[in-house]
Amino acid sequence: MGTSTETRFSLDGVGRGSLVVAFIALQACAFVATYITDRPTWYALFMIGSVAATAYALDGDAFTVGVATLGSVLMIVLALPLFLFVARQSPSLVIEKALDSDVHRVLYLGIYGPLLAAILSLVFGVPLAHLLAQGFPGQPLVESLVDLPLVVPHSVAGIIILFGFGKGGAFPSISILGSMAGMVLAMAFVSAPYAVNATREAFESINDRLEYASRIHGANRWETFRRITGPLAVRGMVTGGVLAWARAVSEFGAVAVVAYSVDFFYPFAGKKVTGQHAPVFVYNTYLQGGLEQSGAVAFLLLAVSGLIFLLVRYLTGDSTSTRGVV
Amino acid sequence: MSLHADVSATFSADGAESFHVDAAFDVDRGESLVILGPSGSGKTLLLETVAGFHPHDGPVTLDDRRVSDVPPEHRDFGFVFQDYALFPHMTITENVGFGSRYHDDTRDATALLAELGVSELADRYPPTLSGGEKQRVALARALAVRPEVMLLDEPLAALDVPTRQALRDDLADVLTDVTAVYVTHNRTTARALADRIAVMNDGQIVQVGTPDEIFERPSSPMVARFTGSNAITIEDAPSLRAVLDLPSEGVAALRPEAIGVGDDGDVRARVERVVREDVTNRVTFRVDDVTVEAYTDRTPATGEYLWLTFPAERVHVCGTRVESVPS
Repeated sequence: MGTSTETRFSLDGVGRGSLVVAFIALQACAFVATYITDRPTWYALFMIGSVAATAYALDGDAFTVGVATLGSVLMIVLALPLFLFVARQSPSLVIEKALDSDVHRVLYLGIYGPLLAAILSLVFGVPLAHLLAQGFPGQPLVESLVDLPLVVPHSVAGIIILFGFGKGGAFPSISILGSMAGMVLAMAFVSAPYAVNATREAFESINDRLEYASRIHGANRWETFRRITGPLAVRGMVTGGVLAWARAVSEFGAVAVVAYSVDFFYPFAGKKVTGQHAPVFVYNTYLQGGLEQSGAVAFLLLAVSGLIFLLVRYLTGDSTSTRGVV
Repeated sequence: MSLHADVSATFSADGAESFHVDAAFDVDRGESLVILGPSGSGKTLLLETVAGFHPHDGPVTLDDRRVSDVPPEHRDFGFVFQDYALFPHMTITENVGFGSRYHDDTRDATALLAELGVSELADRYPPTLSGGEKQRVALARALAVRPEVMLLDEPLAALDVPTRQALRDDLADVLTDVTAVYVTHNRTTARALADRIAVMNDGQIVQVGTPDEIFERPSSPMVARFTGSNAITIEDAPSLRAVLDLPSEGVAALRPEAIGVGDDGDVRARVERVVREDVTNRVTFRVDDVTVEAYTDRTPATGEYLWLTFPAERVHVCGTRVESVPS
């Protein structure tokens, strides 16, 4: 969509950034006020109204006001639970959970396991993505297989993994049920499509003639991948890896079926310990301790995941730049 | 080193009819062969096939060495692309020196950039360059590996007119004594750079010859029209038959610049259209049932009658009917 060329409210003197900051500050104040008065419904109505008013002030076009207003309803669905979730946490309980060694193990496993799954997805997903970007006979079949985990219920995915790699399946020497390998496999199963598809889009966006230019001036296909197509697709690989990691962090169904509880090496204790993947642990805490207890653990998991996500995006933001397209 | 190619390849895109390239040509050592043809005639596909980018049947040989079965990196070609294909994540020096690690005998990137007048760009990245600068860098990259044969795919097509003229002059210097195959749809460029021209249409080479042969004695009405000659259907122009020794039917090709325009001459013709060009006018005349283009310094009015003179020695009968030719 193009940017608007004319606004009812001139941004020249204010600046778009200042307007955004003012809008966010207004929303924050409104949320705090309605939260203190225990009227979250009022905030929902205020957000919809304020979005409509802002759209009218900036554009004035009925269509723009209409789509902004409807879009704000979805934003309410997405944002309001998150705001209330954060606001309703008890700081003392969050601190208590943050100091709990069981929670430490859960957080470690909740980051480490998905990291292994993301690496696994990329190691084997990048070559597949390159192949898919180039095209080959029977490609639609492979594409369907890659996308299958996106539509399969995740508990069903767990069952499929057990049939495929559990007792009587392929690689019988590798223990899947209740093991770290099974957990990573379950996570990779559901997250690999994100790694493959994001990387494939990156490969497809590269002009074929860059590869031709590399080949004709002496580089073989491996060297061309190493020096040209690989570096130019790094941003897509990182995006795919982050998406795969995030998807694996949030995975519940497949992990609960395949590896409900696993033994893993915990470096801070210097030994093997038993633990659960974070979403499984949160669910267990909810069943045993209620919403308040599970909310504190979920808050910590959300905070750590968010921080890692932002850190990865920050670290890869500049270094993977292709400096534009020729 | 001489190049011989006799290749055949079929290309198909989703939902589109497959396109077949079947062409043969030779380039002698130090010669520039220009493959000239309309858009969609398969020129680029032919060049890319010879370079080894597409599977093909038939031999490609450098002197006596058959390279059709080896990958592009072992064919000893340099390639300049229409859209430059510079590596956006490398500096200009890195782009030019890209092939140095794969070849024993390469030219110094800095010296090449200086030779092509772009040494000040050495540390910059391709996206910050103009089209002309990018193409000079692409040319330097291809020359750096001391290729046996240079392949150039419409390197001037994306450039503005002044840049195109300047780079064409430089190319003429650079390609002296270099074995080169140059693809273009621009007949001016073809005439400026070619030792020989191969005209291509619909995936096939339809005529090969020196520029004079191609422009003065086209083998078909298609070649005549595409190279800018008048292609006159003889039976539709009895006035011409009356003054020239022509067969009763066929197509007569004649360069527009060879036709004299004045107050007397061979045939009286009506002015249909006048187009002002750089230093002269291109005038379309009606003669009987055909149109004839000629150049003149005069600026006649539409509907005015003038006399045309047709030099018999430059009229070339080249076919039996006038075909439509894509531009």
